[in-house]
Amino acid sequence: MFELFTSMVKEEWRMHSTMFGSLSFALFPVMIFGIAFMGAFLLPLVRSTLPAGNLSLIIHSNFLLLGFMVGAFGLLGNEVMNRRFGQASFLAYSARSLPLSEAHIFFTFVVKDVIYYFFLWVFPFGFGYILASPFISVPLNVALLLLLTLTLSFLYGLCTVFFLSAMYARSRPLLMGLVLLLGVVGGLLVAFTGMNPALFFPPLHLYAAFSWVNLILSLIVLSVLFALAVLLFSPEYAGTTREYRNMFSPLAKRLSILSDPALAAKDMIDLYRSGSAIGQTLFSFLIPLAVIWFFLSLLGPYLPPHGLIFLFAIITGVIASTMYTWVTMFDSFGPYACLPVTVGRLISGKLITFSLMQIVPAMFIAAAALLSGEAVNLVPSVVLCLAVSFYAVGIMIWLTGLSPNVLVYDVKVMAIYFVLLGIALTIFSALAFANPLYALASVLLFLPAWLFVQKGKARWDAVDPSGF
Amino acid sequence: MTTILEAQGLSKNYGEVTAVDNISLSVKGGALFGLLGPNGSGKTTMIKMLTGQVRPTGGSATVLGFDVIKDPVGVRDRVGIIPEQETPPSFLSAIEYLAFVGAVRKIPDLETKADWWFDFLEFRDKKNVLCKDLSRGTRQKLMFAQAFIHEPTLALIDEPLINFDPIMQDVVKEYLAAYVKKGKTIFISTHILEVAEEICSVFAILHKGRLLHTGPVADLTARDEHLPQFFLSLVRKDRHV
Ligand SMILES: Nc1ncnc2c1ncn2[C@@H]1O[C@H](COP(=O)(O)OP(=O)(O)OP(=O)(O)O)[C@@H](O)[C@H]1O
Ligand SMILES: [Mg+2]
Repeated sequence: MFELFTSMVKEEWRMHSTMFGSLSFALFPVMIFGIAFMGAFLLPLVRSTLPAGNLSLIIHSNFLLLGFMVGAFGLLGNEVMNRRFGQASFLAYSARSLPLSEAHIFFTFVVKDVIYYFFLWVFPFGFGYILASPFISVPLNVALLLLLTLTLSFLYGLCTVFFLSAMYARSRPLLMGLVLLLGVVGGLLVAFTGMNPALFFPPLHLYAAFSWVNLILSLIVLSVLFALAVLLFSPEYAGTTREYRNMFSPLAKRLSILSDPALAAKDMIDLYRSGSAIGQTLFSFLIPLAVIWFFLSLLGPYLPPHGLIFLFAIITGVIASTMYTWVTMFDSFGPYACLPVTVGRLISGKLITFSLMQIVPAMFIAAAALLSGEAVNLVPSVVLCLAVSFYAVGIMIWLTGLSPNVLVYDVKVMAIYFVLLGIALTIFSALAFANPLYALASVLLFLPAWLFVQKGKARWDAVDPSGF
Repeated sequence: MTTILEAQGLSKNYGEVTAVDNISLSVKGGALFGLLGPNGSGKTTMIKMLTGQVRPTGGSATVLGFDVIKDPVGVRDRVGIIPEQETPPSFLSAIEYLAFVGAVRKIPDLETKADWWFDFLEFRDKKNVLCKDLSRGTRQKLMFAQAFIHEPTLALIDEPLINFDPIMQDVVKEYLAAYVKKGKTIFISTHILEVAEEICSVFAILHKGRLLHTGPVADLTARDEHLPQFFLSLVRKDRHV
C-alpha cells in the first residue's frame, strides 16, 4: 500500500507547511544544511580545544536525542496515540475505514516518520558536512561515514522510543523493571570490567572504528528494537465506558488561590488522565536528560570548575521549558471557542499549570547537585535552571502562542528563538562559570520572560485562533 | 420587540475564498431565526463571526448591544453557543465538562442545573464517562446542555439536531419552541428544512456566501408555499445565474 505512505507524507508536509507558508518551511532543511556546512569550517578551531572524539560524541548524541524527540512526539502511550491518530492525523484515522490492519497502518506511520524527519534533519546535516569536507581536508569516506552513523544514531533514538513507548502502553511495571535492569547491568559492566560506556552506543563505536561486522551488528540491534516495537504495539482505540469520579470540582476548589483555577484544573486532569504526566516526564524529560548528563560528564575536564552543574542546569532549563508543549497538546482552541475566554486567558491558564510542573526540573537539578557533590551550588543552579526555563517559555509564547509544537519548524521563528535564547544563555553561563554565586543574577531573566508573555498574549489575542 | 442581533455588510474572506459576502440581517427578540443554505454557503462562518470566534474581514455586527469585533468576550459571555463540531475536551467526564463551563461562566447552583440536563436529555448514565468515549449523539447532548445551562437571552446553535435520533430530535424541537415562548431568542442553522418550517418564525437562505432571501415563515404559509420547495427552487435558480 504505497499510496497510504505517500498520502501520509503529503499530509505531514501540508500540516507543517500550511502553518507558515511552504517556502518558509522548505527553507528549514536548507538552514540545517547551512549550519552543518559552515560549522564544518569552524572544526579546526574547535579541535584545538576539544579532542575530536568528544566532538563526534556530542554530534552523535545530538542526533540520538533528535531521534528520541521525534519518536516521543505524539507516540506516548495509548491515549496520546489515540489523539494523534484521532485528530492530528486525519489520514491515519480515516485509513482505519480502509481494509488495512492496525499494525500495517502503524508500520506505515513509523516508516513515514523516519523518512520524513530523515530528509528534514539528518540528511541536510550530513550533506552539508560532505560538501564542506574537501575544503577542510576531511577525506570523503569519513564524511560519508558520518552521514551513515548519524543516520544510525537518529534511528537508534527513534526505535528506542518506539520500543519503550510500546512497552509503556502494554505494561508500565514491566517497562520500569526493564529500564532498571538495563541500568544496573550496564552500570555493573562499566564498573567491574572497565569497558568504555560508549560501546553501548554502536553508531559512535562504528564511527570511531568502522568495520562491516560492527555495521551489521548495529543494524541487527536496530531491527530487533523496531520489530519488537511493531509487535508490541497494541492499538486499543475502542472507547471504554469506564466511569470516573468527578475530580474537577474538588481540584478547582483546591486551586482557588490561583488566578484561574478552572483552566488549571482542566489542564492538570488532562495531563494526569492521558498518562502523559508520567509518560512525558519519563520520555521527554528524564531519559533525554540522563543521556545528556552522561555525555556532559565526559566533557567535565574541559569545563571550568563547577561548570558541569551549571551547564546542566541551563540545559535542563531549556528542556523544562518544553513542558509548555505538554500542556498545549491536548486541545485546540475549539472547545473554548464557545466560552467567554480569550486566547490570552488560555495562555495564562496554561502558564499556571506549566509553573506548577516546574517543581520537576527544580527537584531534578537539586538532586543532580547533591549527587554530584555540588551541594553548595544547589540554590544557584536551581535558580538558574528555573530562570532559563521561564525565559525560554516566554519567548515561545510570544512567538507561537498556543501552538508551540508545529511552529518550531518555521525558520524565521526558530532563528529568532535561538538568537534570543542564545544571548541569555551565553551571558548567564559565562557569569555562572566565573563565579557560582553570579548564577543567582539569572533571576533577572524573569523580567523579560514576563514581558514576552504579556506581548505574546496581546499578539495572539489579535488574530483568529489557528484552525478557525 | 427590540432588535437584539444586527449585522451590517458582514463579510469574511479566507484568502481567495469568500465564505460570507456582504450580508446584512437583523433578528428581533423572541424570534426563532433559521439560517438555511447548502453545504459551504457560509452558515457556520456567519455564526462564528456573530459570536466573535472569528473576525469579519468587512462589515460590522452587534449582538445584545455588544460589538462582536470590539468585545467578542462580552458577546460570548452573554450568549449560548453550540459549535458545528461537537468537541468537548477529551479527558474530562461529562459532568466535569459542565462543571468546567459553570466555573468559566460563573453559573450558580451548577450541580442542580447539570442534573436537570442529564435527566432531560436522557444521558444520566454517561455522566461520569470521559468525553472522548462518548458517542457522537451523546456529545451533541452535552454540547446542547452546555449552551443552554446558563439560560442565555440568545443562543446561536449550529446544526444542533443532526446527530440526534428521531425521539431526541422531537424533545429538542419542543424545547426550542418553548424557549422562545419565554421571550428568549434562538438563531439556528440547519439542513432539516421540515423542522425549520415547523419551529422557525423567520428564516434566511444563504448561497455561496450571499443572502438570497430573508423573511417570516408566515409569509410562505400565507401564499400556501412550503419551505423545502421554496428553498430548493430558489437555490437551484441561483445556481444557474
Ligand atoms: N478556516 C477556513 N479556511 C478556509 N476556508 C474556510 C474556512 N472555514 C470555512 N471556509 C470556507 O468558507 C465557505 C463557507 O463555509 P461554512 O463552513 O461557513 O459553510 P456552511 O454553510 O456552514 O456549510 P455546511 O452546511 O457544510 O456546514 C466554504 O467554502 C469553506 O470551504
Ligand atoms: Mg456549517
